[in-house]
Amino acid sequence: MKPAFAIVFAVAFAIAYVASVVNNYALFTYHPAIGEFGLGVQKGKDGPAMYWYGWLATSGIVASLAGVFAALLPESATRRLWPGLTWSVALVAIAVLAYDLRQFFLK
Amino acid sequence: MNWQTVLLIVHGLLAVALLGAITHQAASVLLPAKRPAGSFVGRFRAVPGPSYVNAIVVLYLVTAVLGGILYTEYRMGVRTVVEQLGMWPAHGAFELKEHLAAVGLGLLPAYWYYWRFTGEPRTRAALTAFLAVIVWWNFLVGHVLNNIRGFGV
Repeated sequence: MKPAFAIVFAVAFAIAYVASVVNNYALFTYHPAIGEFGLGVQKGKDGPAMYWYGWLATSGIVASLAGVFAALLPESATRRLWPGLTWSVALVAIAVLAYDLRQFFLK
Repeated sequence: MNWQTVLLIVHGLLAVALLGAITHQAASVLLPAKRPAGSFVGRFRAVPGPSYVNAIVVLYLVTAVLGGILYTEYRMGVRTVVEQLGMWPAHGAFELKEHLAAVGLGLLPAYWYYWRFTGEPRTRAALTAFLAVIVWWNFLVGHVLNNIRGFGV
């Protein structure tokens, strides 16, 4: 594994996950009441709709593509990538997600 | 006992193993002990961190997959009750747990890489501490939610 893949995957996953949650970019929807999957974002059928799996799929695909692209670049182009981006972007992502959930803690 | 309860117990046991492994490793990298360590705390901090990496990655993945399977049961049988009882902080804590688990999944390749291949001690320590916080939060929140309404009741 190249360091560029590790760094870019972590950064892209965190950003794509936040974007997926905030804008509901779920690749698919799961309907637990009837045990069915549906492509894209769908309303619940006979119960709630679950998007978390779809957010993970969206983020995983985006991060994999970004990581592979970064790994294919010449080393001179990725040498200056700061490894600290991995955890610092993830930290910001969690701060955004926690802020998005603030209503639960303020009720 | 239904299969969800069995799966929940296995999920909990794997989470305990993951919690122990990541806490040992985080202590070894953030507060390295002077060898040879004599006290219990010293020995806790003196474990060889690199030997935990693969186990932590596998435990994280398997625990997350089992949690993902159980999540449907939580959504149908537990969250509804939590909402009806107006336990909003517990609800929010679980929502944050799912987000943390996801962000942690995205960090695993970097975590693995910086433990196995390079001399980036600060990045290694930060990633380990980050995952440790995620695992602790998720363990405690899962435990609390299970106390509010365990499966199979």
